[in-house]
Amino acid sequence: MLKWLKNFVEQSWLLIAASFVFGLLLALANLAWTPRIEQNKIDKLNKLMGSLISGAEKFEPMPDGVTVNLGRGKTAQCIVYKALGGDGTAKGFCFIAEGTGFADKIELVVAVDASFEKIFGFNVLSSSETPGFGDQIAYPFYNDQFKGAPADKLELVGAGDAKQIDNKIVAISGATVSSSAVVNIFNNYLGRIKQALVEKGVIQ
Amino acid sequence: MANGQAPSISRTFITGLWRENPTLRLLIGMCPTLAVTTAVKPALTMGISVIFVLVCSNLAVSLMRKLIKPHLRMLVFTLAIATFVTICDLFLRAFAPRMSEVLGAYIPLIIVNCIIICRAEVCASKYGLVVSAIDGVSMGLGFTLSLCFLAAIREILSTGAIFEIPILATVGNGGWFVPWAAMRMPVGAFVSLGLILGAVNVITRKK
Repeated sequence: MLKWLKNFVEQSWLLIAASFVFGLLLALANLAWTPRIEQNKIDKLNKLMGSLISGAEKFEPMPDGVTVNLGRGKTAQCIVYKALGGDGTAKGFCFIAEGTGFADKIELVVAVDASFEKIFGFNVLSSSETPGFGDQIAYPFYNDQFKGAPADKLELVGAGDAKQIDNKIVAISGATVSSSAVVNIFNNYLGRIKQALVEKGVIQ
Repeated sequence: MANGQAPSISRTFITGLWRENPTLRLLIGMCPTLAVTTAVKPALTMGISVIFVLVCSNLAVSLMRKLIKPHLRMLVFTLAIATFVTICDLFLRAFAPRMSEVLGAYIPLIIVNCIIICRAEVCASKYGLVVSAIDGVSMGLGFTLSLCFLAAIREILSTGAIFEIPILATVGNGGWFVPWAAMRMPVGAFVSLGLILGAVNVITRKK
């Protein structure tokens, strides 16, 4: 037993010592930079939400998340943020919505008005859509169609007037899957969140 | 770099830049070469990250080289490399969050980059601190320059700009240049790299 232990220590002492030293280095780096990383995440979210709702100065997360059905048995927990102006009045609502795109998951920051009747717009939080094609979901041609559209069931159409603001969203040429993914995300989230806010008495 | 006497510092430095350039001559580290060269900024960030990891891991391995048991060397190398890659990843997330998002998983994937483990095995585990550090800088610089050259070609052809500074007047801005969307996609990386490697082979062909 003693021989075995001696052999074990001889063979592995450097690995064990190195693990401690490198682990300590990692712990120090983590300790020093984690607050900044967390702040970066909050800043990014606030910036994206702030650019969608004019006059909003503060975003308060509402208690209890909303469970949204994403289809195919998948669900997601969604936190709804209430956008407040300088005088404390509600300016609208924001939430992070996700769905499956062409390449990978698409995450959007969506903003709607205080009565949950009109969409203020959306920003892309993360996506891996094809450069030059699917990534055009963030471009004005597609993105602007959502600004002022009804916060109701949206429909994707292949052709039409993209400047006309209604529930019909004109798809991006060559990126139908990405265009459809964004419309599906809106359709999955809008109805469910509106229902949850009505149930809580936040909106009528 | 053969066993035995340590090579001179100047020779070590030049080796990584051209004679054993990891991308153009040894053809290692191809994954980030193809994936992050859509523009010069991410390519440069990846290059600097690789220089940091190479130098630090080479120094750590060189320091421990006389104590490492041969059959455990890969474990120790990986431990050192993973530590410095994680530190680099945390640093980028804290101080360059935009670039960290653009590079995504490719920063953590430096852990499995062949260049790092290759230099630990070939150089750092055999030579002293100075030669190992110079080797790290040299190999890292060679990698960075290759990445930036490839990225510059792809960026200018796909957007008409370099470092996001417009060079060619694109049709969208009333100019003549029609951006090649294909250059931003994998096909652009393969074609550009193939042409560059062909040119390097022609230059280095022995007469």
